[in-house]
Amino acid sequence: MHERISEHLETVGLGVLLVVLLIAYQAYDPSLLTPASITILSAQFLSLILAAMGQTTVMLTGGIDLSLGPVLALAMAVFALRADHGVVLAAVLALLVAAAAGAVNGAMVAYAGLPPIIVTLAASFLWGGVTLAVLPQPGGHVPGGLVKAYNNGWNGVAVPAVAIIVVVVLWKLGKLTRFGTALYAVGGNEHGAYAGGLNTRAIKIGGYALAGVFVGLAGIGLAIQTGSGDATIGTPYTLNSIAASVLGGVSFFGGVGAMRGTILGALIIGLLTNLLLFTGMSPFYQLILQGVILIAAIALKTLATDRRRTA
Amino acid sequence: MFGKLKGAVLTVAALGAVTAVSACGVNNGASTAGGGRAGATKALKVGWSTIYLTPSWMQETAKMMQDDVNKLKQSGKIASYQTFNANGDTSQQIAQIRAMIQQKYDVIIVDAGSSTALNPALEQAANAGITVVNFDSLVTSDKVIKVGTDQVEWGRMTAQWLADKLGGKGQIIAFNGPAGVAVSEDRWKGAQEALKKYPNIKIVANVHSEYNLAPAAQAFASAYSAHPSINGVFSQGGALSAAALQTLVKQNKKLVPITGENYNGFLKLWQSKQKQGFSSMSTAQPNYLGVIAIEAAVAKRDGVNVPTNVTVPLPRITDANLAQYVKTDQSDDYYPIQPIAQSDIDKLIGK
Repeated sequence: MHERISEHLETVGLGVLLVVLLIAYQAYDPSLLTPASITILSAQFLSLILAAMGQTTVMLTGGIDLSLGPVLALAMAVFALRADHGVVLAAVLALLVAAAAGAVNGAMVAYAGLPPIIVTLAASFLWGGVTLAVLPQPGGHVPGGLVKAYNNGWNGVAVPAVAIIVVVVLWKLGKLTRFGTALYAVGGNEHGAYAGGLNTRAIKIGGYALAGVFVGLAGIGLAIQTGSGDATIGTPYTLNSIAASVLGGVSFFGGVGAMRGTILGALIIGLLTNLLLFTGMSPFYQLILQGVILIAAIALKTLATDRRRTA
Repeated sequence: MFGKLKGAVLTVAALGAVTAVSACGVNNGASTAGGGRAGATKALKVGWSTIYLTPSWMQETAKMMQDDVNKLKQSGKIASYQTFNANGDTSQQIAQIRAMIQQKYDVIIVDAGSSTALNPALEQAANAGITVVNFDSLVTSDKVIKVGTDQVEWGRMTAQWLADKLGGKGQIIAFNGPAGVAVSEDRWKGAQEALKKYPNIKIVANVHSEYNLAPAAQAFASAYSAHPSINGVFSQGGALSAAALQTLVKQNKKLVPITGENYNGFLKLWQSKQKQGFSSMSTAQPNYLGVIAIEAAVAKRDGVNVPTNVTVPLPRITDANLAQYVKTDQSDDYYPIQPIAQSDIDKLIGK
């Protein structure tokens, strides 16, 4: 019970931070809470939110994915290259490719017995190279109507926000399945899970593949947002997704963390960088302040977590 | 179970924080931001979004742009000027452009991180009546003013010099940037066009390298050891040229002609070896592209019919004018350039 309360305190803490950011944002941009702004912001944050959800899925298994950015770019490239011949088929293809890339990462982690950080570092070169082979120069094309609907809203509906909510609801349902609980179990105590009769390798591979689906969705979102594909655009998402997950309270050691924390973390990072744009301060100080705020937030959270562990 | 259900509710609620709160406080402080609206000739609110700010080339560009802005502020053309650094993150650059649209900037200057990914954001800005000028690293959209150099001409011009220097015959090593990088491919395309006319010039090796001294030196050294009897080098980047020349100097070999760029490390070495007969012809991606971009934007707002594509001529650095360029008191990764005359800028932007 104790644990639950402090876990919720964490969420509440992040929520308070988010509200503070929203209030500050509102002062700079009074149009923040209009449908137009919500559409623009959700289009901007969708990729980071979904990428962070992918990273969180891997981290729940006790891993980390340094190849997330390149896989995101790969899905983006596949989608942008095929979108003119049918958006749905292109999306399915992009998701299959991203899930397959994730499954390959997962298989290497599960069978090679190497630390995920090494495996996925190597995989980042692999998938980066594959992406460049698929799309050597920025290009591809996404139908203009879709780009417009995504960025400017469709009949007043913030399409990206709806997409995020749908994905979150699906995750919530999926988490209740056997696979969902097994994912947490493998990350929390792999030997225990194995002894308990779980096929830990298959679950890990499944976890990485599921992460690939999230990352693939993020890549598709980015392709629709930008109307094209670019092999080099994904890289920053690797570290940003880790930052959002850690800020959201996901443990590096697996088994601990909730998607709501990650989503709040991603929203906070996105809003914070946007907010700093409005302040008019020198770009170098923006980076410093961004770093300081993130360190402070994570330090506060770590303190809270430690207290929980020792309590 | 309690936690899971509650979790679902909380997550959706958190997402809703962005969407649902919209009911309250819409008109809160509506007059604080948005920028002052004056008469028809109001001073402009200008923003510059750049994919990088830290490389030395960009620092010099930023300084030149700031000087120009100071001048334009004094003459009442520009009211405010803000720099945004995307730090290599194209998504961040999109966010910056959207933020500038929301904050009602009059002018957006962009050095792009992707040739395609910024198009929707930039076109939205243009549709909102914002004057958008893109320089240096260009986008494919034709809805914005683009200020750049012709990279194909870069390769053609320097390769032509090399062919002339060699009297139309000999063996050369082609030293290019990374395969697949647009700038590298364009320069090489131009070079091939020029060299095609000389069947007696033989390209014995085509070497690719990052535009960085250390990997370039390694790449060149191995190609050179296989072909030590070359008569010249077509190099398309300053660090590449410096690496090639360093290799020849270190191995005490004949200093064959090498084309180059205004990378100060190369210019210094070139100057110090001029007496030993080393010869080059270099060009530059001029830092004043940024200045021309600002001037183009201001002119456009003044009603000047600025062309959509402003192609800035490439400077020619030769044995004769090298001394004007090389800056011995500056570091190697400095890119010296001669200032461009205001009359030349005016001509380029259709004034």
